Amino acid sequence: MSAVTNVLPYAVAAWLFGVGLYGIATSRNFIHLVGCLGVCQSATYVLLLGLGYRWGSIAPIFYDHPPGTPAVDPVMQALVLTDIVVGATLTALLLVLTVQAYKRGGSLDPGKLRPMRAGGQTDRDRSSDRGRPAA
Amino acid sequence: MSPRIRVALLALSALILLPCAAQVIAGLPAFGSTIAQYGARINAITPEARHVANMVSAINFDLRGLDTLGEEFMLLAAITGTVVLLRGRRGEGMTGRAMHRPGRAVIPRSEATVLACRIAGPLTAVFGLYVVVHATVTPGGGFQGGVILASGTLLIYLGEGYTGWRDAIRSHWLDVLEGGGALLFALCGLVPMLTGAAFMQNVLPLGTFRDLFSGGLMLVENLGVAMAVTGGFTQLFLEFMEETREAEEPDEPGEESA
Repeated sequence: MSAVTNVLPYAVAAWLFGVGLYGIATSRNFIHLVGCLGVCQSATYVLLLGLGYRWGSIAPIFYDHPPGTPAVDPVMQALVLTDIVVGATLTALLLVLTVQAYKRGGSLDPGKLRPMRAGGQTDRDRSSDRGRPAA
Repeated sequence: MSPRIRVALLALSALILLPCAAQVIAGLPAFGSTIAQYGARINAITPEARHVANMVSAINFDLRGLDTLGEEFMLLAAITGTVVLLRGRRGEGMTGRAMHRPGRAVIPRSEATVLACRIAGPLTAVFGLYVVVHATVTPGGGFQGGVILASGTLLIYLGEGYTGWRDAIRSHWLDVLEGGGALLFALCGLVPMLTGAAFMQNVLPLGTFRDLFSGGLMLVENLGVAMAVTGGFTQLFLEFMEETREAEEPDEPGEESA
């Protein structure tokens, strides 16, 4: 195989991670930030599956092929499965935190996040009505 | 920190880390040339030793079952956190309607939608169960099947509306599914110890290779995972939809089907 295909999956993983990190660093919206974290995480899927792949191998399921047929690394696939489950629940938890931050601060912008004070009232609650429901 | 400084810092760290990453990638084995010894040994030994065809399930539920137990409880913790954070601010007097913007006209649901959901819903559930129970034979397992089952419940919402969905999906059943699944998995680890075996040792009869009943204890663990994932993800949908309900307003005509 050529030099390009030798490193391409790893390069794609690094690029995905970098792009996601750039998104997180420049994010102006919590929901966008959670999405960027998902992009970062998909880099780990690509990396793990790339590490476990071998040319000319089958999936590690010996139903149609007899045991002993060359198969790709099942450990990496199990890890990716774990990764996806963790990612899904983590995304849900972060979105809940987003909902709560919006309710308390009235803004989705991480730059406008203020420390929480005793009593749950921030400066923003009094000075700004941005994002409040109209009713 | 202003956005400009943040980007500058990111660029600086990328400048330092990029050569390191390139070094590591260059040191990795070429893509597709070889796989790790551990995985190769598992592929060689496990079909014989555990009578299962699906190596990924064998790793998740048997060889590295302890890790999956940790994952299972992480799932439980994340969903508990979600529920704790979202509940508590709700009160009585909410409309029986979710995912609806106040002021927007409510369009009655067409009969074609209801029919399609009533046909597709049970089919999705059957497919989810199929994926769950064939964990040790074909691609699939408790995690994948559980997510399919949970998304099947969303078809009830699509077809019957929010009130119908809440009638069909009881919150405390979901708690039982979710907690019971995690408990079942933990018991699968502990019960073999009563017989003098190791934690999560596969003490049940292993069954026939390529048969539905193969893998012994894996089938029970798989069922526990499926229950926990189904309950957990449905609970997530429920909590997020509950969050979109607005306070009660004077009813407009023609709303009951929304």
